[in-house]
Amino acid sequence: MALLELQEVTSGYAFGPDILQSVSLTVDEGRAYCIIGPNGAGKSTVLKTVAGLLRPREGQVLLDGTSIGGLRPDLVLAAGICYVPQDRSLFPDMTVKENLVMGGFLQPDRKVVSERIEQIFDMFPILRSRAGQHAGTMSGGEQQMLALGRALMTQPRMMMIDEPSLGLAPQVADQIFETIASLRQMGITLLLVEQNVLRGLEATQDAFLLDLGTLRLEAPSDRILDDPRIRELYLGRQLQRGTEAETREN
Amino acid sequence: MSEVAQVMILGLLQGGVYALMASGLTLMFGVMRIVNLAHGVFIIAACYVAYFLFVGPGWDPFASLLVTIPLFFLLGMVIYRSLFPRIEGSQRFSEMTVLLTFGIALVVEGFLSYFFTGTFRSTNPPYTTDAILIGDLFIPTAQLYASMTSLILLLALWGFLFLTRTGYAVRATMQNRTAAQIVGVNVRRISTIAFAIGMALAGASGSLISFLYPFFPNSHWRWIAILLALIVLGGLGSLKGAVVGALMLAVAAAFVSDMFGATWAPITFFGALFLVLLIRPQGLFGREARV
Ligand SMILES: Nc1ncnc2c1ncn2[C@@H]1O[C@H](COP(=O)(O)OP(=O)(O)OP(=O)(O)O)[C@@H](O)[C@H]1O
Ligand SMILES: [Mg+2]
Repeated sequence: MALLELQEVTSGYAFGPDILQSVSLTVDEGRAYCIIGPNGAGKSTVLKTVAGLLRPREGQVLLDGTSIGGLRPDLVLAAGICYVPQDRSLFPDMTVKENLVMGGFLQPDRKVVSERIEQIFDMFPILRSRAGQHAGTMSGGEQQMLALGRALMTQPRMMMIDEPSLGLAPQVADQIFETIASLRQMGITLLLVEQNVLRGLEATQDAFLLDLGTLRLEAPSDRILDDPRIRELYLGRQLQRGTEAETREN
Repeated sequence: MSEVAQVMILGLLQGGVYALMASGLTLMFGVMRIVNLAHGVFIIAACYVAYFLFVGPGWDPFASLLVTIPLFFLLGMVIYRSLFPRIEGSQRFSEMTVLLTFGIALVVEGFLSYFFTGTFRSTNPPYTTDAILIGDLFIPTAQLYASMTSLILLLALWGFLFLTRTGYAVRATMQNRTAAQIVGVNVRRISTIAFAIGMALAGASGSLISFLYPFFPNSHWRWIAILLALIVLGGLGSLKGAVVGALMLAVAAAFVSDMFGATWAPITFFGALFLVLLIRPQGLFGREARV
């Protein structure tokens, strides 16, 4: 069943040109999707538009068939979609614990918030040991875990994660992708943007290829990985980049 | 020795009120990135409210706080909601707020001049000329009351920011607006509240300075210049910085005025501003610009 649906969505930044041009895509409940495409293709813009940080100029954004396009971000979040931005957007001067408390902002019952924080600490033991540390002073990997943990505080139905492995060492990226796999096991629908195409495709079931603000291709992730023609046509340069990164790791 | 202590005390007493004025200004910048050049003119407008409550029904300026605080809070909500959404989302939001608030300052100043003329005024409750003597230290009563009241109001602000849910949301928005949005903070609402609180602080400051510093419609330029220097020293958007910056510069100005005469006191602020921008542009508690 379609959880999220974009119907011919055109979107862009204040006073600027259209970045997304009539993008249509469907996300089914419980599945994992990856958006791939070159730098500046508009991948982050898709997520921001769904999250309510940008208002679609044309077209519809539907959650369970009801329009959420142009809704305030807090209302989109309350409806069950949470967004982990590319820059992680933590509260740098707040501690790890306080960041998690802020993650529970929409939950008025403080007891429930502390219970959830305990669950997050069980999932990410490193965060428990850093509970009193200021978020801004942590390493990139720890910050990404905190960003994911904070997003989980809202108990979302769907998570949109923008470039989770950006700037992380390969081993740390591995950890993050393990976490992402466990999110899938928790039944959370995933919409992932990943510059490391190989990893992104391996972590997901379906993929959208975005270029210059338009959707170029929609296919099962493994087909893109396996089909030499698609690889060459659409991803030549990018996959190479991904592969290089992978080989360097080994 | 005791003269040093004396100048210190006078400086700190002034600094308390400066801190109150500067905190509203820095709050607006911290939460919304608004550079509010109209902060001074609203302080002066509040002086007039206190003045007319004093000469009319004979209210003590401290009693006028009961009017200026809620009145300017409401005014802040109306101004924010009616003028700022139009420029929200602009890449050059802060620059545009400079122009917008400069315009507001000129308009309000125009109204004040039209209705109240350019004459110097001040409220003069009986205690303005009183002083308390401790040993050979001379403590002007009015200054003491005003800075104690500022301290109470600043503590109330602190309590709001650190102990309430809305206060958490305000601080979160100050640290990272997008982050606040994605954890479910309605930043439009928080911005309105923060702007209104900033205005309420301007209102309160007006009541307090109405008997400390004689005012006329134009005098807000002098204030805004000083206040900007204070918050740049403290670090734009840092409340702690605004308070520390205000106390430091007020004490420095008191020493300068003691040594070279009162006409030199304002130079302290602009000299300090110059040095800060040269040596540590992010201010005492400011964050270095992040990319
Ligand atoms: N805040 C902004 N204001 C104006 N234009 C923006 C803004 N953010 C992005 N853009 C523009 O929108 C276009 C798409 O950007 P977007 O961030 O969605 O790309 P992306 O596919 O996520 O790229 P990357 O891989 O670099 O993250 C780019 O041309 C970019 O310049
Ligand atoms: Mg991006």
